Amino acid sequence: MLASIPSATLLGVEGNPVRVEVHVGKGLPAFTVVGLPDVSCREARDRVRAALDHTDGVEWPNRKIIVNLAPSDLKKAGSGLDLAIAVGVLVATGQLQPEQVEGAAFLGELGLDGTLRRVPGMVSLVDAVAEPTVVVPAGCASEAGLVGRHRVRAVSSLRQVVQALRGEAPWPDAPPAAPVPPGPPPPDLAEVRGHAVGRLALEVAAAGGHHLLMVGPPGAGKTMLASRLPGLLPPLDRTMALEATRVHSAAGLPLPPSGLVRRPPFRAPHHGASAVSLIGGGTYWMRPGEISIAHGGVLFLDELGEFAPHVLDALRQPLEDGVVRVARARASVTFPARFLLVAAMNPCPCGDGGGPGACRCSDAARARYERRLSGPILDRFDLRIELDRPEPADLLGGPAGEPSDVVAARVAAAREIALTRGVRANAELPASLLDEVVPLGPGAVLLLEDRIRRGELSPRGLARVRRVARTLADLQGGGPVTDEHVCTALALRVERTGLALAGVAS
Amino acid sequence: MSGVTPGEGAGAGVPAEAYGVALSGLPGMGPIRLRRLLDALPPSAAWAEVVEGRAAWVVELEPERSTTDPAAVARRWSQEARLTDVGSLWAAHVDAGVRIAMRGGAGYPTVLAEDAEGPAVLFSLGDLDRAVELPAVGIIGSRRCTYYGREVARELGRELAAAGVAVVSGLAAGIDGAAHVGALEPEGGAPPVGVVGSGLDVVYPRRHAELWRRVAQRGVLLAEAPLGARPEAWRFPARNRIIATLARVLVVVEAHAQSGSTHTVNAADTRGRTILAVPGPVRSAASAGTNALIAEGAAGLLRDVRDVLAALGLQPAPPKRGSTARPRPSRDERAVLDAVGWQPASIDQVALRLGAPVGPVSLHLESLARDGWLRREGAWWERVP
Repeated sequence: MLASIPSATLLGVEGNPVRVEVHVGKGLPAFTVVGLPDVSCREARDRVRAALDHTDGVEWPNRKIIVNLAPSDLKKAGSGLDLAIAVGVLVATGQLQPEQVEGAAFLGELGLDGTLRRVPGMVSLVDAVAEPTVVVPAGCASEAGLVGRHRVRAVSSLRQVVQALRGEAPWPDAPPAAPVPPGPPPPDLAEVRGHAVGRLALEVAAAGGHHLLMVGPPGAGKTMLASRLPGLLPPLDRTMALEATRVHSAAGLPLPPSGLVRRPPFRAPHHGASAVSLIGGGTYWMRPGEISIAHGGVLFLDELGEFAPHVLDALRQPLEDGVVRVARARASVTFPARFLLVAAMNPCPCGDGGGPGACRCSDAARARYERRLSGPILDRFDLRIELDRPEPADLLGGPAGEPSDVVAARVAAAREIALTRGVRANAELPASLLDEVVPLGPGAVLLLEDRIRRGELSPRGLARVRRVARTLADLQGGGPVTDEHVCTALALRVERTGLALAGVAS
Repeated sequence: MSGVTPGEGAGAGVPAEAYGVALSGLPGMGPIRLRRLLDALPPSAAWAEVVEGRAAWVVELEPERSTTDPAAVARRWSQEARLTDVGSLWAAHVDAGVRIAMRGGAGYPTVLAEDAEGPAVLFSLGDLDRAVELPAVGIIGSRRCTYYGREVARELGRELAAAGVAVVSGLAAGIDGAAHVGALEPEGGAPPVGVVGSGLDVVYPRRHAELWRRVAQRGVLLAEAPLGARPEAWRFPARNRIIATLARVLVVVEAHAQSGSTHTVNAADTRGRTILAVPGPVRSAASAGTNALIAEGAAGLLRDVRDVLAALGLQPAPPKRGSTARPRPSRDERAVLDAVGWQPASIDQVALRLGAPVGPVSLHLESLARDGWLRREGAWWERVP
């Protein structure tokens, strides 16, 4: 007999519909899977067989079984087709009737005892299903429900599926979402002492979507500041949240109780990260990289100088386009990757090279350290600040700073203003709009001319300074950009200075 | 020790100095070994000794040769020497206009000849005779200096050169270079003397190429290694003793607590030279070494160029001209200026000291810089005196 069961497989963050065709016929007992299955897919044979053996009321047919995964030119990866194969075998052997499975798609991995396990990418998998009903593992119900087009049946074992399909038992109720204890409150800006420039830079980065580079000795508070940035960002809008949720789901990350990723994510990969782990990809299963998982939120690269140069240079295209296109011989996928890049590094290998004359590194060592960052990557940072360890008086007796929610309110207001210009944030302002949106006063023109003449500002840098100045003005209510805003924007974009300090600059 | 044998494999028709040049270019041939070799043998015989691998005794005489195997050193010298064409090496130096003076030979400066550790072979580019006739002052200091140190070094270099004093320095980054930049400023000033730790054609640090050229043009560049010698780390302390020997007064402008300047100061001290140090802010790491020299009494305190001239026994320079007029800072600007203080400060520190937002502070800093009260270096602001 023949059965054809709808299911889906994941490629990148996109789900693709798959039909699982099962033929049970005469011949020596055998079980083959054809149609470009990958290793984990081929192993489905053994899992399905064991699951059927351990499920009451069904039995394994000792006949020749051929499973075809259609379309056969699409690479199928992962174990999400297990359930569909099992149901197909049951239908093809008459243990279930075709009309009992009519209009339903099956997703999920089987355990040897017949339990149903979750698989990554449930949001996208369900989205790929055209049938009105979708059967998913228990625990994936809220994820599957996000798509909103299907009747979601969440079950915990093959036995439950069989009983519900035969009408012997009702479909189990979706289990109540496990009460997730609210995580620790995000770190608050009020705890930051000193760091006038650091605070301002965070606020501007959050309001304008400007990438931020912090340079400072160990212990200056770079990581502490960066971890407070997500708390300043507004929650993700619906489109962004859905995109982020699909990525998180595809990456197999736990989702919040509501199922939808609303809070801007914060990702801080270690500097040993490979290009593939950061950008996305992989041989069988195109997994989203850290930059996509950070979609809508913050990607924090601590010790930027320690990342392999080719890994950093791979960030350039996604930084420009907001998406990353990963191409492999068999497939090419596009991941969303619109993130706020925040990076931190020491000023030099010894780490003490903050102020002039404080460093103990040789010139050659410093030059080597600075060469690790390519100019194009440095150029992507609208904000480049130098941090120093706070002075003891600020650390101990200084007044507490503004709390995060006050700053977040200003950030939200500034983002509203940016929306009226047709951009999500000022960092995206096209160059053609700059003259209209950021007109420069005579004082600012003099100042910028001086920087350009000294070689401290490139044409691209100039545009970035203007966008930052616009954000500064927006944070103060959206009035015109003044000389003060331009001055401040320049103070927030320091040229790397190590070599100039050592030389006989005169 | 083996006897004198005629040189083998030596190019015909080259002067004795050519062998001195070839010997000084051998790997691991430091000034002491070279002296020992050339004190014992005439140059051509010394070269033959090395070529035949019989020079192990040069190393064996060293008291603290715990890790070096003399036979291995001699073998290496021999290998290297067999690959060296003395004639073309000599021709290269002649073509480049490099003058070579052997210790005890003609044209070797008296002041170095009188010193127990004078280099055995001296390479020079420029007018050596004129430069060594003048009273000389060494100006040394940290490669990683502050704006303060750099400006003091430059000012001292300028005023000493104008007073007819040869400024001796190492042409390194930081203080050394700044002193020479200053010494080149006055028209018709005394010729500067640059003592380098590599071959005269191996500019190090490379961004000082223009400075090297100008020092050689106006004064003289000195080295004790042949053309092409790399700036290996051991060459710099060795180079420092030449600076200490040439200078009658040694000025340390800025030095970290442990720094290369210590070598030069010790070398100058053993030679009985006057040592002066420029005091700096007590919290400045770049002045920790100089302040310590003053505190320990190892160095005299230097207030301005007149202290140096007095130590040389020269007439003080004419009184300094008044500083150029700068617009008076406004009340707010005055507060910002005070908050910057006399040490480099970041805008972060200034804003926190004033308790003022970053925006207005940055505006004031820029306008003070425009009026000449402040100077910016990257993220750091320094007061202009």
